[in-house]
Amino acid sequence: MSEVIVVTSGKGGVGKTTATANIGAGLAMFGHKVVLVDADTGLRNLDVVLGLENRIVYDLTDVISGNCRLRQAIIKDKRFEGLHLLPTAQTKDKSAVTPEDMKELTKELQEGFDYVLIDCPAGIEQGFRSAIAGADRAIVVTTPEVAAVRDADRVIGLLEAAEIREPKLIINRLRPRMVERGDMMTIDDMIDILAIDLLGVIPDDEQIVVSTNRGDVVIADENSLAGRAFKNIVRRILGEPVPLMNLQTGNPIIRRLRRIIGLG
Amino acid sequence: MALQLSQDMHEPNTILIQRTLRSGQSVCYNGNVVILGDVNPGAEVTAAGNVVVMGILRGTIHAGATGDDTAVVIAFRLQPTQLRIANHIARSPDEDFVADPGHPEIARVKDGVVTIEAFPPGGERQGKN
Repeated sequence: MSEVIVVTSGKGGVGKTTATANIGAGLAMFGHKVVLVDADTGLRNLDVVLGLENRIVYDLTDVISGNCRLRQAIIKDKRFEGLHLLPTAQTKDKSAVTPEDMKELTKELQEGFDYVLIDCPAGIEQGFRSAIAGADRAIVVTTPEVAAVRDADRVIGLLEAAEIREPKLIINRLRPRMVERGDMMTIDDMIDILAIDLLGVIPDDEQIVVSTNRGDVVIADENSLAGRAFKNIVRRILGEPVPLMNLQTGNPIIRRLRRIIGLG
Repeated sequence: MALQLSQDMHEPNTILIQRTLRSGQSVCYNGNVVILGDVNPGAEVTAAGNVVVMGILRGTIHAGATGDDTAVVIAFRLQPTQLRIANHIARSPDEDFVADPGHPEIARVKDGVVTIEAFPPGGERQGKN
């Protein structure tokens, strides 16, 4: 059964594109045929994050306007067998894609792929409405900031109104040390307000910046904590019950000692 | 002490909202509003009568919006961003942390000031301490 999943957040800069790229790569690593659709027309990033920018000939808007066939616009990833990208145009704006266009497009994509992941633009205007139009499921990304959680809440309300049931939550850029000190919102604080199922927590990891700038995905990096967190998320999407990772860093004995002497 | 509720409470025009109101969602009703769920920050409820939230109230609420200052607001946890009754406006304290009283609370106008008390009255004696 083919599924269309939209990755959304409301607020910009919380990691939608990075999450889309990593989850897509992860699903491909598990042997699924995946297509990532960049719905952020005019501000496309997904191709850059995946390092595929130089391969774009046709895009989503060409498909919609009938300039090319869908097959011609889809780009194969260079590293992961089974991972594909449908880029969007950088020179047009959100009005180039209507919700009806996306519904039609995702239906067509479902025939050829196991998973269709849509990278939603920030905001709740036409771009957002088009991006969610063809989706059966949604993943809401937030960071432990009041503004991001507020926007996530708004988006969950809109998803529910659009009859996309039971969106799942990814908390990105959590800093366990700050949470321990009481300087950052805890996972429970966020679940308390948003009241949806938690799909996973991604710790703040410098490695993400490094891989993103290189056009690489962190999920391929076995040594990265964020990479492992993304892999767990992918396994949960595939229906495997994976417990939440222990995000506390360092040796537990040293950690306890630090806390006793007041450094934790 | 007998609790004095707005007269509207006895009229049949009450709407029941059977879900949580999320940021950006609003309810405006010419009567009482009862919410079976939370009112999240960024959500708004405007009612001509009383408002009862069977959950956590963190959004903006306006009871007695047409000028009835006998209207009340009751919630399991009363932590509104802003609470208005008729033309009286109150907001949450600026301190980050507000201790959870552990019992439902009622907000109403007493002597021209929005006052928050335990609900039901005397409920604090039934609390843990």
